[in-house]
Amino acid sequence: MIKRFGMSLAAVAAGAVLAHLAHAQQKPEILVKQRQSALTLIGKYWGPLNGMAQGKIPYNPEIVARNARFLDALSQMPWDGFDPSTRDEKSRALPAIYENPAKFKEAQDRLRGAIAKLVAATDEGAFKAAAGEVGKACGGCHDSFRAK
Amino acid sequence: MRFLLLPSAVLATLLAAATGPAWPQGDAKRGEYLAKAGGCLGCHTEDRKDAVPYSGGRVLKKPFGTFYGPNITPHPQAGIGRWSEADFIRAMREGRRPDGANYFPVFPYTSFTKITDGDLRDLWAYLRSLPPSARANRDHELPFYLRWRFLVTVWKWLFFTPGPFAPDPGASAIVNRGAYLVQALGHCGECHTPRNALGGFKRGRFLAGGKTPEGKEVTNLTPTRLKKWNDRDLADFLTTGTRPDGDVPSEAMGEVIRNTTSQLTAQDLAALIAYLRSLPPLPE
Repeated sequence: MIKRFGMSLAAVAAGAVLAHLAHAQQKPEILVKQRQSALTLIGKYWGPLNGMAQGKIPYNPEIVARNARFLDALSQMPWDGFDPSTRDEKSRALPAIYENPAKFKEAQDRLRGAIAKLVAATDEGAFKAAAGEVGKACGGCHDSFRAK
Repeated sequence: MRFLLLPSAVLATLLAAATGPAWPQGDAKRGEYLAKAGGCLGCHTEDRKDAVPYSGGRVLKKPFGTFYGPNITPHPQAGIGRWSEADFIRAMREGRRPDGANYFPVFPYTSFTKITDGDLRDLWAYLRSLPPSARANRDHELPFYLRWRFLVTVWKWLFFTPGPFAPDPGASAIVNRGAYLVQALGHCGECHTPRNALGGFKRGRFLAGGKTPEGKEVTNLTPTRLKKWNDRDLADFLTTGTRPDGDVPSEAMGEVIRNTTSQLTAQDLAALIAYLRSLPPLPE
């Protein structure tokens, strides 16, 4: 029992060290490029959904379902790219990200929650309500953590 | 006798014709549109779901203190139900309360002073038509030395020019309409024009963007930056709230898009854009 516990503890520790190494090895400029790529693609798949929510494009449940799935995956990707090692890289990321990580995490969770509703939305009404929340989550985070 | 009667009858008719359309009560329906174009909702409504529109409560954290947007529904105690139309016009045009005291310029009367008399009357008629809300106002939280409202008299003397919008005779009607929407109702300059240490607008930097006193970066709205956008992309951005690549602006602008620019008629939106295009390009 104790032995097994010790082994799993060692495994967890090893995993943590590996994850840390994987991270530490990545150059800051690459982390910035990668997180920006994820955010760029979020824009790509969000744009048409926002157009539908605003009535600019006809509502298409298949595109909504597909893009919502993409956004669900993509919205997990940018955040580990905001590593403190990237602080001095040229980007629009504000120091508040590193000064107030709890609030930054809260903003991520808000987006994740809103996108979960988008994935679950099966009719136009639910879609529009969820899309409104997603838009506010994006903008709310940009308010506090992005320049301009 | 006849000689005397006739001119007075003519005079009465003339007077009625001259003042007829202007003096009766404002048009609440027009006022509703103007309230959207004026973005009144943002500061005068709490930032939460199911908040009662115009019942006040928005928290405005400024470098000079924390302000709370007041209730402007016609409730006699909690709102502005006891005001007269003249009180409302004085508040908007001169930045004064009914008792004569100054408003703090967090209430953007620096812009609203430019709203025409007719539009002010329509706005007033609309506010009168709202359901009264009993939501009580909260006092602003300010350092003691800023609580004296008479200090605002000095501020106004330095930075405030009262008076309605005067169209530029050299500009087209469309550009003038856009100028009115941007300068008076939309009060875009309140965020997009940089301010000096006392919170007054920097001269010669109208709509040039930069850092707000709260430290937020704001976009330059003159052609220096906007020339990279075509009219269609700009109109789409101001109606849907996304850029062509799907990027989303900060929520501060997102709310302005939802409440104001997306609510404008197509003609007014085109006028607004035409006016921004006519501005002198100012460096970032």
